[in-house]
Amino acid sequence: MSIPGSGLLNGFATTWRNLFAPKVTRQYPEVRPTIPDRWRGRLDLIYDPFGEHKCEVCFQCAQVCPVEAIDMSGFDTQGNRIRYGMPEIYDERVDPNAYRRAGLAARPMRNPARWDDEVDAAFVRKLVEGYDARPEALVAIFGAVQARYGYLPERALRLISDLMTIHWAQVFGAAGLGGFRLLPSEGHLITVCSCAACRFSGGDALLAALREDLGVAPGESTADRGFTLETRPDVGAGAISPAIRIDTLVYGPLTPDEARHLVHQRREAAGSRAMAAGSPS
Amino acid sequence: MDFSLLLGIGRFVLATTLLLLLTVPTAFIIIYLELKMIALMQLRIGPNRVGPAGIFQSAIHGFKVLGKEDVTPDQADRPTFTLAPWMVFMAAAMSMLVIPFAPGLVAFDSEISVVYFFAIIGLSVVGLLVAGWASYNKYSLLGGLRSAAQMVSYEIPLTLSIVGVVILTGSLSFTHIIEWQRIHGWAVIWQLVGFPVFYIASTAEINRTPFDLVEADSEIVAGFATEYSGMRFGFFFFAEYVSLFIMSGILVTLFFGGWLAPWPFPAQLSGFAGSLYGLFWFILKTYIFVLISIWARATLPRIRVDQLMGMAWKALLPIALVNLLVTAAVVVIFKL
Repeated sequence: MSIPGSGLLNGFATTWRNLFAPKVTRQYPEVRPTIPDRWRGRLDLIYDPFGEHKCEVCFQCAQVCPVEAIDMSGFDTQGNRIRYGMPEIYDERVDPNAYRRAGLAARPMRNPARWDDEVDAAFVRKLVEGYDARPEALVAIFGAVQARYGYLPERALRLISDLMTIHWAQVFGAAGLGGFRLLPSEGHLITVCSCAACRFSGGDALLAALREDLGVAPGESTADRGFTLETRPDVGAGAISPAIRIDTLVYGPLTPDEARHLVHQRREAAGSRAMAAGSPS
Repeated sequence: MDFSLLLGIGRFVLATTLLLLLTVPTAFIIIYLELKMIALMQLRIGPNRVGPAGIFQSAIHGFKVLGKEDVTPDQADRPTFTLAPWMVFMAAAMSMLVIPFAPGLVAFDSEISVVYFFAIIGLSVVGLLVAGWASYNKYSLLGGLRSAAQMVSYEIPLTLSIVGVVILTGSLSFTHIIEWQRIHGWAVIWQLVGFPVFYIASTAEINRTPFDLVEADSEIVAGFATEYSGMRFGFFFFAEYVSLFIMSGILVTLFFGGWLAPWPFPAQLSGFAGSLYGLFWFILKTYIFVLISIWARATLPRIRVDQLMGMAWKALLPIALVNLLVTAAVVVIFKL
């Protein structure tokens, strides 16, 4: 049994000892820690609150590596195969390895990568020259390219990188901003909101239901090219979460059954249109 | 006109002016001590930018407060909202009038200075309640009501605990109480129960940790001061630290011999030198208790409101009453 008040005295003793203990504050601008010459900061690949790997294969680490020791390939969040480093190495590598590097479970791609689509080089060149190749115009240039193609083809990004002498990793990183697509969408574009509000209120269940119903993973299109599924954190409908966006219409709050119903409605409408188109013949 | 009356008025004006001016450095010093000492106890360095070891940090805070916009809420009761900080500050400043700093260094050496002191220091609760009411804000009102409940409750054990000293010394004058202690030793030796009761109650009376429920930031934003900004908030802030100084000073006067040195006061020191010597001991003892209060703030968590009230009515009040009874009995039986 402890004596009443001994806890109080213990606390007072602790603060009294601390009064004379060495202080832990580091007075940063005057007193700087000694850092080894080759130190480039701490690399930390950790998991987000939903248990998913934070690495999005953005190549930023490869870009800052002082001895160019990092080369990588993998898949971005849209499922596109991307690579950084010498192509002759990566062309030899098989997909599972790249999946592993991206921290994803190996799965076959539904969308054949459209990275080799031809682009109108003159159009891109004229666009870049119109902005005097100013780096701050990068997002505006992306916007114009997406307005023409509906997405940002890899060839266009490569060309922009060359013309503006901006590092490819930076161009690619900027293209990962919200609002830009790296693949063309086919059919109805179904966007499941992946913002924190939507995910906490059941967005994951919606996504699982739609994945099952459509049979595709986010970033992929269905075999009949009727629907494209994607997740974005910017549907911007926190008040009606969990929300999804189909083409331009935002729906929410939804249960998985209601989400399935919305997809079925469109599927049936497409079917009746196909029948109407086919009936005269 | 009677010359002595004029002299009295002049003396009073001079003393009040000096005391009002004294509140500013006092608050600055205590705020700096608090910033620095709590920082050291939390293994931080604390203020270290403004002046050597950051000693001007609190003064800079004071000037910053002066330069801030003074906002009055739209729905606030303007006259009382403006008056409340003034009331709180004046309660603290006016009670300084009777504090015996040193022999001959008392602004108002009355026969009933103890009564005057506890009457005036109790006024600050009116200011806090008015501030809480006039702000038209539920947090402010909660803070104001808490302050009313707390300070009114703790005033009873606070006042009862010093009656023991008054019975022992047979006087309501701080000067006489100190003179009695010169002969009989510090009153804390005679009032081993009364002193802790007074210390706890006075800590609660000036809303210091662990009894700072009135402005509990983590519960009710800042209590009565929620809607205050600029120099009006500064007045509350000032009053809080000046009250800490005053309560420590009164504690020293009542229980630790006031301006008396721990050993017999040298008789050859009189006049100006005696005053300085007394002032030194008074300030030293007062700041020791200020530092103890800061130490407690760095250590103790805030207590709950039911614990607060229970302590006042179920513990401190009975103890103070028994102490009063025993003291009176001892004085009567042994004819002290």
